[in-house]
Amino acid sequence: MSSVDSSGDGGKWLDAHYDPVAGLYTFSSCIDLADLSGDRESRLVVGDLGTGSSGMKLKVYRGTALISENSLLDLPAGLVAFFMDLHEPRIPAVAVASGPCIYVYKNLRPYFKFTLPSLDINPLEQDVWQQAREGQIDPVMLKEMLESIRKKADVPLSVRSLRFLSLESDEVDEFVQLYKQQPIRRQTVITCIGTLKKSTADEDGISCLVIGTENSDVFILDPEAFTILCKMSLPTVPTIMDVTGQFDVEFRITVACRNGSIYILRRESEKPKYCIELSSHPVGLVRVGKNMVVGCTDESLQGFTQKGKKLWKIILPAPVTTMAAMDLPTRGLQAVLVGLANCQVHLYRDKNLLSTIKTPDTVTSICFGRYGREDGTLIMTTKGGGLMVKILKRTAVFDDMDSTPGPPLAQSVRLNVPKKTKLYVDQTLRERENGLAMHRAFHMDLSRTRVAAARAYVKALESSLTPMSSSLSKPLKMNAVVQGLGPSFKLTLNIQNTASCRPIMNLAINFLYDDNLYRIRNPYMKIPLLVPGLIYPVETFVECTSDKGISDIIKVFVLHEEKSSPLLTAHINMPVSEGLVLS
Amino acid sequence: MGLLDKLSGWLGLRKKEVNVLCLGLDNSGKTTIINQLKPSNTAAQEIVPTIGFNIEKFKSSSLSFTVFDMSGQSRYRSLWEHYYKESNAIIFVIDSSDKLRMVVAKEELDNFLSHEDICNKKIPVLFFANKTDLRDALSSVKVSQMLCLENIKDKPWHICASNAIKGEGLQEGLDWLQGNFPFLSSYRDNGENGSQN
Ligand SMILES: Nc1nc2c(ncn2[C@@H]2O[C@H](COP(=O)(O)OP(=O)(O)O)[C@@H](O)[C@H]2O)c(=O)[nH]1
Ligand SMILES: [Mg+2]
Repeated sequence: MSSVDSSGDGGKWLDAHYDPVAGLYTFSSCIDLADLSGDRESRLVVGDLGTGSSGMKLKVYRGTALISENSLLDLPAGLVAFFMDLHEPRIPAVAVASGPCIYVYKNLRPYFKFTLPSLDINPLEQDVWQQAREGQIDPVMLKEMLESIRKKADVPLSVRSLRFLSLESDEVDEFVQLYKQQPIRRQTVITCIGTLKKSTADEDGISCLVIGTENSDVFILDPEAFTILCKMSLPTVPTIMDVTGQFDVEFRITVACRNGSIYILRRESEKPKYCIELSSHPVGLVRVGKNMVVGCTDESLQGFTQKGKKLWKIILPAPVTTMAAMDLPTRGLQAVLVGLANCQVHLYRDKNLLSTIKTPDTVTSICFGRYGREDGTLIMTTKGGGLMVKILKRTAVFDDMDSTPGPPLAQSVRLNVPKKTKLYVDQTLRERENGLAMHRAFHMDLSRTRVAAARAYVKALESSLTPMSSSLSKPLKMNAVVQGLGPSFKLTLNIQNTASCRPIMNLAINFLYDDNLYRIRNPYMKIPLLVPGLIYPVETFVECTSDKGISDIIKVFVLHEEKSSPLLTAHINMPVSEGLVLS
Repeated sequence: MGLLDKLSGWLGLRKKEVNVLCLGLDNSGKTTIINQLKPSNTAAQEIVPTIGFNIEKFKSSSLSFTVFDMSGQSRYRSLWEHYYKESNAIIFVIDSSDKLRMVVAKEELDNFLSHEDICNKKIPVLFFANKTDLRDALSSVKVSQMLCLENIKDKPWHICASNAIKGEGLQEGLDWLQGNFPFLSSYRDNGENGSQN
């Protein structure tokens, strides 16, 4: 009860109530808030799924207390409170969808039951059962024939036939005896339910029920007569539904479907108007104004326009368990609550995380609205059946800072890009058409460049062309020129200091050669100070002493006076001395 | 006739008008309490409520009551804070049967007590744990625990269980209030409380 910030939500919520053993097992689609007594105090209405196949109940809470319970015959798929008539005082009815039926409660008492129309039955199936009834075929035969119908039929078999096909052989006789006299029925079940205002946008205006079925249909029901006002078909089974607008004016039904797509249905179109194909399956769907926020199984939250244009996508820290809208018009607050599997509930405005609520258990259903007399109440139920009520502080403010990593706001600002020229368009077309060839040509050229570079390198290594010093402190470059026909040659070594500003001193040149072949006038020479950039020619004379017409390599070393290893080495391929022939 | 006659009689010793601020969440029973307190001849002057903001005022001789709902929208907050400065005593009404909103009442009380015009004033605060006649109502002890009243150290305070419809508990509260007006105490015992107010 203390207002100490223990839940890590920045002190924005007051912990009004937490009952970890409330025994409420439900989802966001089966929970609603409504003023069921006409005293301006909202009650919490929950379709409790119970545990397993029993304990399904319609439960009503007032404040912290459970005030009413009604048993449900089947698992609830959805629950909505809606105004079905104009009677005073304005008290809404509660509709619970389960199986093929909608159970309507008024004043918390069963009032009306609507059952979906049965589906067409495969005539072949009907024939086969007819024959079984008349004793023309035995159960084994019946089984075979039904099996073949099941395989090729475009109209699916009834539940009865499917059940029959799954029986063990010792059970079939009894089953046929039991059911053969009864007519075959094929029923679909309701997967999701929503409400649609009939003709006014008033808070307490009469609403139609909108239901999605396992048969991929969407029905809109008249609130008073419970007749089908409108039927629309989807390519696949709807699982989550959002409805906005008015039936008589214009409306929009957004459904997330089992094939991982979202379809948008409009008035006067039997087929979906827009389709969003998601990259993974939707878990939650919430409309915020005109946009939609979808939570997917790949731990992402995505925003779309009402026409299906993707606006943004963010990655969440854990899988989504449930989602709900947080709408507080008196404070101009519209956001999306996302329950996560890591025991957190995140509040997002667009892609920005406004607040994080830590919960003691994973949240499975969320509902935000007026509860009791408090407008900003957040109701959550947990996996372990707990009930949690938090109230938004009157003083709470949510900073709309862009806290999520991702493209900065500036990125979505439109740049003034000039119009595309014809040349640009032609080039783009060419690139699009010849992409492969261009890519190949590029790789061919790249390979050629590499080969040329490698060759040049090898050549430079082999011929010691203008060797360069690898020392960083004394960068040197040298080339050698041999002049003359022999036996006397003039050897000129051009040395250059390639440093940008530092001169090099105390250098010397030494030669290594076969002294049976050559004699060098100055085998050791001192080099003057090398000013950066200038080329210094160092000359000496080489005498070839052999007369056998052979030549050899003379190795040149540029040395620093204090170092034993040379700074630079060059190999000079001496030409064959031709002078001997003359003499 | 009215429960206030005695109180205002006491206060009549002073020429100055005394402002009592009656606060609490909506539906806690403030209007009902005030109606019980009103002398039969006092004409209530009610300011027309704007959405989310509702002020009631009435005067009885030297006593002026201002009542408002502490819930609703925050943008009206500055309107009621305007009355804090001139207040000489506070009546804070709690709906003891509204367990869910006890945290909201506490939040509003804490905000109120830490307001700059209130926190340094040693004015008496009277709590009515109202609607104790209802079956699921909390006791006044429980209410005072949930509101952490023991933390109020610098102001005289008192909590009374009440049933505003029948008027039960109101007299006890007013008797306490009478004995705790700072200027009344100072009138009686100048030495101790003279520096207050
Ligand atoms: N049972 C019961 N009801 C009360 C009590 N005090 C007020 N009420 C009822 O609570 C409702 C709200 O009272 P009101 O004085 O208008 O509350 P305000 O919003 O604080 O002015 C009315 O219906 C009153 O009749 C009480 O002590 N017991
Ligand atoms: Mg009132």
